[in-house]
Amino acid sequence: MNQILARLFPPQTRRPDEVVIEFGIIFAMLSLVYLLTRLKKWGWLWREWLTSVDHKKIGIMYLVSALLMLFRGGVDALMIRSQLALPNNHLLPVGQYDELFTTHGTIMIFFMAMPFLFALFNVAVPLMIGARDVAFPRLNAVSFWLFAAGAILFNISFVIGGSPNAGWTAYPPLTELRFNPGVGENYYLVSLLIAGIGTTITGINFMTTILRMRAPGMTLMRMPMFVWTVLVTGALIIFAFPPLTIALLLTLLDRLFGSSFFTLGHGGMPMQFVNLFWLFGHPEVYIVVLPAFGIFSEVVPVFSDKKLFGYPAMVGSVLAITILSYIVWVHHFFTMGAGPSVNAFFGVTTMLIAIPTGVKIFNWVLTMWGGRIRFTVAMLWQLAFIPAFLVAGVTGVLLATVPVDYQMHNSYFLIAHFHLALIGGTVFGVLSGMYYWWPKMFGFMLNERQGKWAFWIFVIGFFVTFVPQYMLGFEGMTRRMYTYPPGLGWGALNMVSTIGAFIQGAGFLVLVYNVLWSMRYGERDVTGDPWNGRTLEWSLPSPAPAYNFATIPLVTHRDEWWEMKQSGRANAYKVKSSAIRPVHMPKRSAMPLFMGISFFVLGFGMVFSWWIIAIVGALGVIASLFLSAFDYNDTEELDPQDIRRSEAALGRLEV
Amino acid sequence: MSQTLSKLAREQELPLEFADYHESIKITGFWIFLTTDLVLFSCLFATFAVMRYDYANGPTPLHLFHMTPLIVETALLLTSSFTCSLAIYQSRRQNKNGALSWLILTILLGMGFVGTEVHEFVSYVNSGATWHQSGFLSAFFTLVGTHGSHVTFGIFWALTLVAQLVQRGITPRTSRKLYTFALYWHFLDIVWVFIFSFVYLSNMTGGKMV
Amino acid sequence: MMADRFYPSHGTGAMNHIEIAENEDRIEIPVLAPHFSSHKFPWHQVFGYVFSMALTAIAFLLVINQMLPVASLVFVVIVLAVVQAAIQFGVFMHLRESRGMAWQMLVLGLGGFIALCVVAGSIWIMMFKSGVS
Repeated sequence: MNQILARLFPPQTRRPDEVVIEFGIIFAMLSLVYLLTRLKKWGWLWREWLTSVDHKKIGIMYLVSALLMLFRGGVDALMIRSQLALPNNHLLPVGQYDELFTTHGTIMIFFMAMPFLFALFNVAVPLMIGARDVAFPRLNAVSFWLFAAGAILFNISFVIGGSPNAGWTAYPPLTELRFNPGVGENYYLVSLLIAGIGTTITGINFMTTILRMRAPGMTLMRMPMFVWTVLVTGALIIFAFPPLTIALLLTLLDRLFGSSFFTLGHGGMPMQFVNLFWLFGHPEVYIVVLPAFGIFSEVVPVFSDKKLFGYPAMVGSVLAITILSYIVWVHHFFTMGAGPSVNAFFGVTTMLIAIPTGVKIFNWVLTMWGGRIRFTVAMLWQLAFIPAFLVAGVTGVLLATVPVDYQMHNSYFLIAHFHLALIGGTVFGVLSGMYYWWPKMFGFMLNERQGKWAFWIFVIGFFVTFVPQYMLGFEGMTRRMYTYPPGLGWGALNMVSTIGAFIQGAGFLVLVYNVLWSMRYGERDVTGDPWNGRTLEWSLPSPAPAYNFATIPLVTHRDEWWEMKQSGRANAYKVKSSAIRPVHMPKRSAMPLFMGISFFVLGFGMVFSWWIIAIVGALGVIASLFLSAFDYNDTEELDPQDIRRSEAALGRLEV
Repeated sequence: MSQTLSKLAREQELPLEFADYHESIKITGFWIFLTTDLVLFSCLFATFAVMRYDYANGPTPLHLFHMTPLIVETALLLTSSFTCSLAIYQSRRQNKNGALSWLILTILLGMGFVGTEVHEFVSYVNSGATWHQSGFLSAFFTLVGTHGSHVTFGIFWALTLVAQLVQRGITPRTSRKLYTFALYWHFLDIVWVFIFSFVYLSNMTGGKMV
Repeated sequence: MMADRFYPSHGTGAMNHIEIAENEDRIEIPVLAPHFSSHKFPWHQVFGYVFSMALTAIAFLLVINQMLPVASLVFVVIVLAVVQAAIQFGVFMHLRESRGMAWQMLVLGLGGFIALCVVAGSIWIMMFKSGVS
């Protein structure tokens, strides 16, 4: 018994601040349970959310989780920056510092950026292509619950057993069992494997949806740009996640079952992990940034009152980026020394990516050119994105130059580069998308004035944080450094950077305030088209009814909704009563939730090598697969009369 | 335009699994999943390729591999791929019993394959060649074992299909499920072709390739 | 015309939904057009089986009898595998069968390209270790 407790709560990691946070988490959970019981909301939670297979609700659940994870990852970042603010600082113990940069990176990439994007995929894509749901609604819920299982498993490592500490890239031999005997790395491996299965399913699901379920008339070249980017992101996911799965799986086999893949002895080959990891890692960069490009390509035309400039060139450049992103992965480890020919090849392919990306930047700027720009919050995020991403891209080309990379590798120059790319690209993108699609998700608007405050505070903090890091990189400060002596000239720059980080934190708090305030006092969106939008989702009421489209639209133009409005069909959104037919919709199901819980149990058992628990979880997974194989009763028919009634209530029925 | 297209579709006699629009979407989705699996196996192949000379102090392929189990496994799996395609052929002719018997034969051949492979692995381990011993053995066992576990999963999947076919006969939905299973099974056959060529035969030639 | 598409119409009796074909993309290249095979006797399957067995037998015999120098032997064995994979895809997996556009060919082609990049790329990148070890 004591032995079990000692593994669950290793004594050396108990520190006062952690204990406070742990009790805070437990208190928050208990009060949530109390609140749900008090308000008698359990049944509602179960019916409307936990067992839902509606893509719009799954999208909202992704959004809430992503915002929570943004908070956790952000707190990690603030603690890292506090530690680095002064020379010779020992605010945090060194072990905890290692854990913090590991969890910060892992959470921000896997549990913040990706679910945030999946939230927007789920909310927008079916509505944009005129579909009633995704191709595999139940698997869509499975994806979400596997992500949730992975995220929770990763986060409980903070309380139970100890966090991973080998960086978000988890290179061996840092992860080799004999050098890293705790359970932290197991948490990292298992939770990412579980979440990765969910992500792969999401990729398959959205590719299939877009390839096969578009409304009649919506040819590929009439798809909204965001849908294009989701399609190629799906392609990136299905090809990038298998290498990650293999890299993590082989490391797990090394750690739990004594194989010799990445070990230092027994003919192991640690660099093969690095190779596999970046086979995933580079496409991953585009997985998180291409949808953001798509969001900007929706936001810019709407708020410039112009159609997207150079649509075919945009499509072409997205496709070019997709292909190129697979043949650049070595630039993450030029310093391995694979030889001049290998490095030269991958350096050149990396630089080539700048061309299609540049085309996109020009197209956004030219879309705005001569337009009547409305400076809404969604548009402001886009405007901040262009300079941030431009700097990130140009310094990226610099890093692609192999001799320069040997100098800059793993310095703060690199840190500044990818934070400018990932925050400037992805975070600005998803926030822009959040403000843009918020009324479509919830039926009310986010307050613009508060949103602009959040925007300005965050963006100023962002540049104050990361521009000094470029300079620190030039001056030789390396990544993951715990502390540094005075007299190197790093102190002032680090202090500025830390202040910037706290300004960003303040920006996030204003954003949260903006959301909470708007939930209570926000303006209702009664038109369904608050921005004078161009694409089909704005032809629907906000929020869209469960069946999305009472009748499936027939698409004749690229910006179909815009064309409908322009051609004077003012009542174009009205639905003819006689045209409404019965609709088959997927039934809600507890299977995805059960599958997520089973995977969580399986993962927890594997982390601690407690095989009985693992087997129980595995049996749960098998049971949910088995039950859904024999479940033929998974759809229900909506009565046309009910659809007519609900459309009439929305004032959209034309008799 | 649209009318000519729908006429085209009507003239094209669609097999049952494609006739239902939504079932045909699931087939597209399954193809995309198979592509994922293709890349998954390619990563294992790449790892094997990189580590294929890392024998450490363990045995080399020439000491380890034997032709007999390899030939038996290959013959069983290739034949099962053939019987599986006949199950689809019969299901398209609405011949439930024909489809069922070919499917059951496929399962039996698959079981024979897995049994032989398990026997092969056990004999390796008994001779002292565990995967702890070298990078080469780790890569070998993981690649071939992943294929073997895919086949094992396929066997259980096929058993549930047998039950569903008995229960419901050949409907658009069961025939689609049978069709996707067949895709999966043939795909595993392709992976096996690469395993015996790339892992076994290429390393049983006696010389070292750079 | 405004054809209403039913969301999943599962179960039997769904054969009458073929008229919704206008929302499916098509391709103009005749070779790539969707194609369904139906014969009185499973000629395709028997042909595929015989052919794959023959290719396998050739590969095995070449190796057992060491009929070629090592480098070309490995090359021939891999080529035989690729040919056999193509037969499996074409004959057994009915690669060309699809409603609307045969998207799987595109996705699979891309997947094949990636798989080749992964295997060939890894071998190329990791060749340095024969120099250092």
